[in-house]
Amino acid sequence: MDKRKGYILIIPAIIIMCIFTLYPLIDGIRVSFTDKSMLKTEYSYIGIDNYKQMFSDPIFWLSLQHSIKLTIIVVILQLIFGLIIAWTMKQEIPGMQIFKSIIMASWVIPVAATVTIFKFMAQSDVGFINIILKSIGLENLVKYWFGDPKTAFSFIVLLHLWRNVPFYGIAFFAAMQTIPASFYEAAEIDGANAFQNFWYITLPGIRNMIIVMVTIHVLWTFNNFDFIYLATGGGPINKTDVLPVYVYRQSWVNYAAGYGSSIGTIMLLILSVYLIVYLIMQERGEYQR
Amino acid sequence: MLRLNTRQVRIRNMIIAYFIVFISLCFFILPMIWIFYCSFRTQESIFTGQVISALQGFTLNNYITIFSVTDFPRYFVNSIKISSLVTVISLIVSIFGAYGLSRYPIKGKKIIILGIFSTQMFPQVLMLIPLFLVVFSLNLMDSVLGIVLTQLILVLPFSMWMLKGYFDTIPIDLDNAAEIDGSNLIQQLIYVILPIAEPGVMVVAFYSFVVSWSDYLIVSVISQSQNTATLTLIISRLSSSLLIRWGQVCAVATLTIVPTLILFAFVQKRLIKGLTAGALKE
Repeated sequence: MDKRKGYILIIPAIIIMCIFTLYPLIDGIRVSFTDKSMLKTEYSYIGIDNYKQMFSDPIFWLSLQHSIKLTIIVVILQLIFGLIIAWTMKQEIPGMQIFKSIIMASWVIPVAATVTIFKFMAQSDVGFINIILKSIGLENLVKYWFGDPKTAFSFIVLLHLWRNVPFYGIAFFAAMQTIPASFYEAAEIDGANAFQNFWYITLPGIRNMIIVMVTIHVLWTFNNFDFIYLATGGGPINKTDVLPVYVYRQSWVNYAAGYGSSIGTIMLLILSVYLIVYLIMQERGEYQR
Repeated sequence: MLRLNTRQVRIRNMIIAYFIVFISLCFFILPMIWIFYCSFRTQESIFTGQVISALQGFTLNNYITIFSVTDFPRYFVNSIKISSLVTVISLIVSIFGAYGLSRYPIKGKKIIILGIFSTQMFPQVLMLIPLFLVVFSLNLMDSVLGIVLTQLILVLPFSMWMLKGYFDTIPIDLDNAAEIDGSNLIQQLIYVILPIAEPGVMVVAFYSFVVSWSDYLIVSVISQSQNTATLTLIISRLSSSLLIRWGQVCAVATLTIVPTLILFAFVQKRLIKGLTAGALKE
């Protein structure tokens, strides 16, 4: 009786996950071996032709390169700025409580709204950034920042930082609270400097939180679609093309569902490798301790 | 290197901290204030390219126009409808699911939990075409229900993980006592378990609402008319049209982000605790 109750309770969740996640995933991989198009119903299996096509597709390689570059740069910068914000939150100064409660606002608002805000700010005529540049005499820098091949990628990085750095800060701050104050007191008696404190006490103390945050955000950044799709659509001249955007364009703009799915499958493969390496490293870390 | 005494270090840290706070507020908060501010300015005022404009540059017309001339109210209602439904259904499904996983012996429990959680890493763009076909074959294209059911997969894994964590901390004796008193499962949940797990429930509700409210990818594929278009869809179309009425775009953006910020203000403390607790437990 009791046993059956447990199964009944989890069945709705399992059904939803199977229909709307597991099946689509498996079907997506299956479609990657076909020449399916969104324009017609019949299609046939073409083996690994899509994958062959992919290997000689320069835009695929470019997108892959951008995806990896973006993920590494974004996560490292988020980590650094997150630590700086967390350190700041630890200082007991008047007004810190208010700062902590409002700083995560950028994480809560929809990505589509974030992109709109920054598109508006980056306009060459009415954008806030360019108004400021003009007022301090840097008129020659004025431009639409998402439209310039030289700055578009950096601006995408900026969007990612804007959304997630406060979350890093709050998370690291929470983790730092669990480090006993006596550790720092003992270090002070030993004459440790600020850097040694950070390296030997703070960093190991928040190690788990760092691992969790990095793992979540590597997946999130690598899979993220809407920032780039809405801000630049992959342009200008493919300068910001990443894999999720390229998959979407192939499937829904070029209607090449089969080809799009094969790129999506490669994404899944890359993420699986990342996760397996992560799990192995974590296992080893456990043994060492 | 000169060595500072404790007092000097404190003052130095304080100055650095205030400097970082100032820079952070400019970077993270100012953009939101800027669009809020510009939502009350006329097109002419915005196009002067000045930060401060004369008094006649301010207006309520942007809001009046989007409410009376455009279809904005409709999209707003669509967004509210979809996000509320996702919140309610995700709460019900994940409360039952998490309770089942937390309390009952289930074969392959570990695999189920791992499986549910690993869906978080799947590329959504890969699942989009099959999802589209599933929704199509269920005859749910361009329907609120189709969007709601699909968006559930974005929130269920986190919701179940979060709630299971909370339920695990509640002693099973409480359930047993309630059962001896003759209450059934639903009563147990409502009167015993949920009041204790309330912070977790609030976090899950907030998370579900905001993720659904923010979703662009799924809506962009399943919504095909004004009947189901949401604010995120509309706002992205507005800012890529040719002649942009920036005042109105700012007004729409403001009304898109304000609901999420209000909800965030309510759950802020619990949310931060809930989000960080999981990682710290290990």
